[in-house]
Amino acid sequence: MRTLKSLILAAGIMALARTASAAVEIGAAAPDFRLATLDGQSISLAEAAKSHKAVVVMFIATKCPYSNAYNDRMKALAASYGARGVLFVGINSNSTEPEDEARAHARAHGHSFPIAKDPGNKIADLYDARRTPEVFVVTPDGKLRYHGRIDDNSEDAAKVSSPDLKNALDALLTGKPVEHAETKAFGCTIKRA
Amino acid sequence: MISPRRAGAFFASALFLLLAVAPGSAAAPGAAARLSGELDVRGLQALLAEQKGRVVLVNFWATWCVPCREEFPDLIRLQKDLGPRGLTIIGISTDFAGQAAAVEAFLSETRPNFRNYRKKAGGDDGAFIDTIDESWGGELPFSVLFAADGRKLRVLSGKRSYAQYRGEIAKALGRP
Repeated sequence: MRTLKSLILAAGIMALARTASAAVEIGAAAPDFRLATLDGQSISLAEAAKSHKAVVVMFIATKCPYSNAYNDRMKALAASYGARGVLFVGINSNSTEPEDEARAHARAHGHSFPIAKDPGNKIADLYDARRTPEVFVVTPDGKLRYHGRIDDNSEDAAKVSSPDLKNALDALLTGKPVEHAETKAFGCTIKRA
Repeated sequence: MISPRRAGAFFASALFLLLAVAPGSAAAPGAAARLSGELDVRGLQALLAEQKGRVVLVNFWATWCVPCREEFPDLIRLQKDLGPRGLTIIGISTDFAGQAAAVEAFLSETRPNFRNYRKKAGGDDGAFIDTIDESWGGELPFSVLFAADGRKLRVLSGKRSYAQYRGEIAKALGRP
């Protein structure tokens, strides 16, 4: 009897652990969230997705060199795809990077897309985001269509041979399936609370 | 005009440095206090092949990574203590090219007794990390322990203590 109870308890713990760390699968519903942005607005993923052709959720950082290597690329992508109805949203989940630092960083790099702090890294946990930069693309139906890296070369934008996020957005905007919907994000670990 | 005596001293120093970082040998204390070059995956594989017969710990680090800097002195101590038993540590900085001066300054300050390289720019980040280990996502420090026959034994993600590294390496080295 005691063994049976232990087994049930163990199975329960394993199920909970799996739920807590489960990554969102491509094609599955992207969990909704609402966050306060650094400029004092409020953003809901579900609402933003409905009013845009796609939403790119980017987990970013202020101190991570890999994330910082993409500052200009994020800005350029947000501008060019913004004009085509795509919204870029930055999320800073690092407990080590306070709000004023994130705000100063956004200002210094000319990021005009909305950025929000993620207190207690709840959204990072919801998406099982591990790195910066790591991106998730959600379409108006609320489904996750792309997850992974921005491109294949963090160090040198001129040597990129696989612009994965761009490819995914181009496919989505022309109604085609995303060929490589899941890539491996490479970067710094999100510093969880 | 360089005098024959000074030229002799120069060549002796150069020979010493060359031997100190020659394949198969651990670098002399402080002799590897500079970057030994840039490495891509092929370069790393060639380096590992040169070390066959020795247990190798490849440690990925960066100057901006605080835990990497914190554990670096322990790596120096491990090379000193276990080098004679067959350990070779290879350090690979993942700092970008623009940080090369910071890398050199760090090496000059810490004066490691093992060789350090910088990850070569270009190529596919994903291909590089998957070749090192598929479980790696870029977090630092990240170490891979190879057996004397070249087999990958363990991946160690995150900072480890001297005792933790020593325990893993000692298992790979076998009994003294």
